[in-house]
Amino acid sequence: MLNYIFRRIGYMLVTLAIISVVGYLIVELPPGSYVEFEIQRLRQQGGNLSQDQITALELRYGLNDPIYVRFWKWISGFVRGDFGESFQYRQEVKDLIGQRLMFTISISIFSLLLAWGIAVPLGVYSATHRYTLPDYIITVLQFLGLSIPSFLVALVLMVFAQRTLGQQVGGLFSDQYQTAPWSVAKFIDLLAHLWIPIVVIAFGSTAGLSRIMRANLLDVLGMQYVQTARSKGLTENVVIWKHAVRNAMHPLIMILGGSLPGIISGETVLAIVMNIPTVGPMYFTAQLNQDLYLAASFLMFLSILGVLGNLLADIALAWVDPRIRYE
Amino acid sequence: MNQTISSTSDKAASILEGEDIILKVRDLHTYFYTDIGVARALNGVNFDIPRGKVMGMVGESGCGKSVTALSIMRMVTKPGRIVQGDIALFRKKKGGENDKSQIIEEINLTKLEGMGPVMRSIRGAEMSMIFQEPMTSLNPSYTIGDQIMEAILLHQGVDKVEAEKRAINILDGVGMANPALVVKRYPHELSGGMRQRAMISLALSCTPSILFADEPTTALDVTTEAQILDLMRDLQGRINMTIIFITHNLGVVAQMCDYVTVMYLGRVVEQATVDDTFYNPKHPYTSSLLRSIPHVGSRQKERLMPIRGVVPDPYSAIKGCPFHPRCSQVMRGKCDAQVPGLTVVGKSHTVRCFLYSDTVEEASNVR
Amino acid sequence: MTETVQPLPQTPPPAENQNLFDEPVSDVGDLSQWQLMRIRFSKNKLAMLGIWGMLIVYIVVFLGEFIAPNWYQFQDTEYVFGPPSPVTFIGPDGRFGLQPYTYATTTVLNKDTFAFEFAVDETQKIPISFFVQGDEVSVLGFKTKLHLFGLKDTKQRFYVMGADGLGRDMFARILVGGQISTTVGLFGVALSIILGSVLGTASGYFGGIIDDVMQRIIEVLGAFPQIPLWAALAAAMPDISENFTVVHRYFLITIVLSVVGWTGLARQLRAKVLSYRSADFTQAALAAGSSDARIILTHMVPNGASHIIVIAALGIPGMILGETSLSFLGLGILPPAVSWGALLRDAQQVSVVVQHPWLLIPAGTVVLTVWLFSLIGDGLRDAVDPYSI
Repeated sequence: MLNYIFRRIGYMLVTLAIISVVGYLIVELPPGSYVEFEIQRLRQQGGNLSQDQITALELRYGLNDPIYVRFWKWISGFVRGDFGESFQYRQEVKDLIGQRLMFTISISIFSLLLAWGIAVPLGVYSATHRYTLPDYIITVLQFLGLSIPSFLVALVLMVFAQRTLGQQVGGLFSDQYQTAPWSVAKFIDLLAHLWIPIVVIAFGSTAGLSRIMRANLLDVLGMQYVQTARSKGLTENVVIWKHAVRNAMHPLIMILGGSLPGIISGETVLAIVMNIPTVGPMYFTAQLNQDLYLAASFLMFLSILGVLGNLLADIALAWVDPRIRYE
Repeated sequence: MNQTISSTSDKAASILEGEDIILKVRDLHTYFYTDIGVARALNGVNFDIPRGKVMGMVGESGCGKSVTALSIMRMVTKPGRIVQGDIALFRKKKGGENDKSQIIEEINLTKLEGMGPVMRSIRGAEMSMIFQEPMTSLNPSYTIGDQIMEAILLHQGVDKVEAEKRAINILDGVGMANPALVVKRYPHELSGGMRQRAMISLALSCTPSILFADEPTTALDVTTEAQILDLMRDLQGRINMTIIFITHNLGVVAQMCDYVTVMYLGRVVEQATVDDTFYNPKHPYTSSLLRSIPHVGSRQKERLMPIRGVVPDPYSAIKGCPFHPRCSQVMRGKCDAQVPGLTVVGKSHTVRCFLYSDTVEEASNVR
Repeated sequence: MTETVQPLPQTPPPAENQNLFDEPVSDVGDLSQWQLMRIRFSKNKLAMLGIWGMLIVYIVVFLGEFIAPNWYQFQDTEYVFGPPSPVTFIGPDGRFGLQPYTYATTTVLNKDTFAFEFAVDETQKIPISFFVQGDEVSVLGFKTKLHLFGLKDTKQRFYVMGADGLGRDMFARILVGGQISTTVGLFGVALSIILGSVLGTASGYFGGIIDDVMQRIIEVLGAFPQIPLWAALAAAMPDISENFTVVHRYFLITIVLSVVGWTGLARQLRAKVLSYRSADFTQAALAAGSSDARIILTHMVPNGASHIIVIAALGIPGMILGETSLSFLGLGILPPAVSWGALLRDAQQVSVVVQHPWLLIPAGTVVLTVWLFSLIGDGLRDAVDPYSI
């Protein structure tokens, strides 16, 4: 088992190395540089930069170095924990992303828990009651869930919260708690703001997950060992939950590992609509403004999260499936 | 619940002379309602199973052998359904210490709920089943011990320690080497032969009176097959178990069975002792089956005779005798018009064919 | 008990069996895999709903300029954020009839807020006519002034779904926007299929180094969050100009969508090809001396074709949603082109949606289209596996 985990970690490091190169290239891909944006901004405000000033800026950000030098500067700093400075905010990247990452991770985890809590029983019910009216209704709802863009659900829920519940939506805190120190009331206020994104993200993944659960379970229910379990005289509940569901979980766990990037994507759009200070919107503007170190660090962190998710899924898979453990 | 099936049970009640009948199947219809039509897997199956004997069930693929076993076990799942028929189980009440006072209780299994408590208490304890594929018939996520103990814990009301002891005992009994170690192993760590032994232990864990063996050796190599067959025969003798041995291997039938039931397209066409089946087959289908396999001592120049045509798919509704389109002795206007009824042609020997009598099967109204 | 009868001494000679088979035998056993798929698919009510629904959507969307009463670019500065025009079947005489009417709308200055508000003049009923002359539009390349319905009185405009912030007809914009939104998925998936099937097949069939490299690439692409990746690629596109028209951008967007989307398909095809490679029919072909190309083209492709179709059908909804999200964020389709996602940009603020809820209608059409495509995809998947219970 330990051997297996070490091997997986090795793979992960290789993947991360490739990701850092590709990610950096992607961030650098759009034409123009931050200095050009800065010049444009100043010109719009009526000012201008002299050639000396431009050269000074370019030197400061190392924009005239060849790309591999710039990459090396960034990645060697990143590994040491020095993520560089944001051009736009003129602040250490480290100070900018900490809290945002925390919000992103907590929203992701809560919505995953919610989605799994609903999707697994729903998929099991749907598979064991195939071609009955409830199955048809669940199927139609699942497709609707897959068809509705997350920002639309968010908009609808926000309108609902604002009109019916009289709740102030958007952001993470109500005005009075914005700068207040942490307290129970502030935490409750946070939850009141977070429920919409959590529900919205869970809504989309529930539909997909329960659909997959249904298909897997239908496959497993056709397996011989399910008949064996029935032939022992077990109740149908034991046959399904102990013998079938456990084996139908494998693809779901694999999907769980790969679902983090998808959740972060959905959350990006959602956070822009809802004005939540998570990673998504900041990365998005950093990317558009060529805020190199900020964007590259974000991309790297998100990828690390994704790869880590895969690693955890692999370990979980080995835990439920003895065949993988002894591989 | 314990309703008798008097209406049909008198007919051919004691075909198998001098045998104590443990299972009586009458007019069994099992249909599968699929997207592309209704597959009539069983189309009026009738037969008796003698207690403590080995009954072979033969026929080409798709003739309904396995579905018959699943129907009796009440394990036919959607979209399949038993639409008509009776299955009577004559169960010996295990009456305490003085085993002499054996009361035989008749239970009509088709009247029970398939997943209901009574059927579940019969399944696994009274009847159990071994499947064709030892590779897939054990759950990959649990150890061998867990899977055997599950049945023991369910039916025998013992604690885990005792259950494990019994599981090891049974594994030992089926000739598994190192049983104390094997209980901790997962199925994928065992070879095919070992898995089938484990599966047999699982099926025998509660000493059932009826065992359905659905082609238990098809997936195994010849040496392992011989070992498993020996083992089954041996166990059958030891605990006086009834075995219904489903196979399309006539060699295995000759080696294992006391009686043979020949099925074709969801019907029983002939039932006889193993000797009669091989040396005095009556139904043209049985004869063709026998002619299609080589046997030792046959003359060199004699050719094997494959049966003409293929088994029609079960979605077809064939009028008359199901075998008539392939039969070499078909009588036009008779075989293709009516279903032949049961004819007794010898001691414990019945056949359904118009060559031997004009008895017509009463039409059964099936939805 | 039936009587025992001695076997008949003489049996008739084997009959010639030509006409033995003309029994009422079902032909299920003789059907090819594709025929079985078609039967199963056409029996799936939800899938058929998807097929017919999409057909209607495509017809309506591509005849959109003709169906809508106004040209989608026409701006009525008097009717900025105007609400949907009311429709009634009660004529000026107060009687119910088949002739639909709309009311005249006027602008009223609200004395409290000093904002213009729209008021419906209930006394003035204007008949809605069919096949009327209106703005000149181009329908599928043909220039015409004819519209399916509208008002003969050109002073009044008829806005079934209200107007946007520039006073343009939302109905016309939704129909025309649909032309991009419903096709971007098809092109995107087609490209993904080409990329995914070539790379996936190569990876699965040849294995070794090719497979390792491909697996790493797929893993890396899979580890990036999709939207940021799209954002980066879309941000790298040049601005709309003479040399880079909306059409170029449209095709580049489909390329961006498929560059990100091919990995899933490649992974699934690789798994399929791997299982085919060890299948008996491949071994038989190898033993017979077939070339790699022949094995792939004549043995694997026909077997995998149904799966490719299913994966493609299931991939379309994701592509449509991807375009919607990209355009919603301002990275996809840009004005003057319209797509549903681009229309939804106006509905980004909750306050706007609360005031002008009709701006959310394009979201409804996105949901409908994606839903119909999902039904088709799921129906295909069920149909491909004919022996599943």
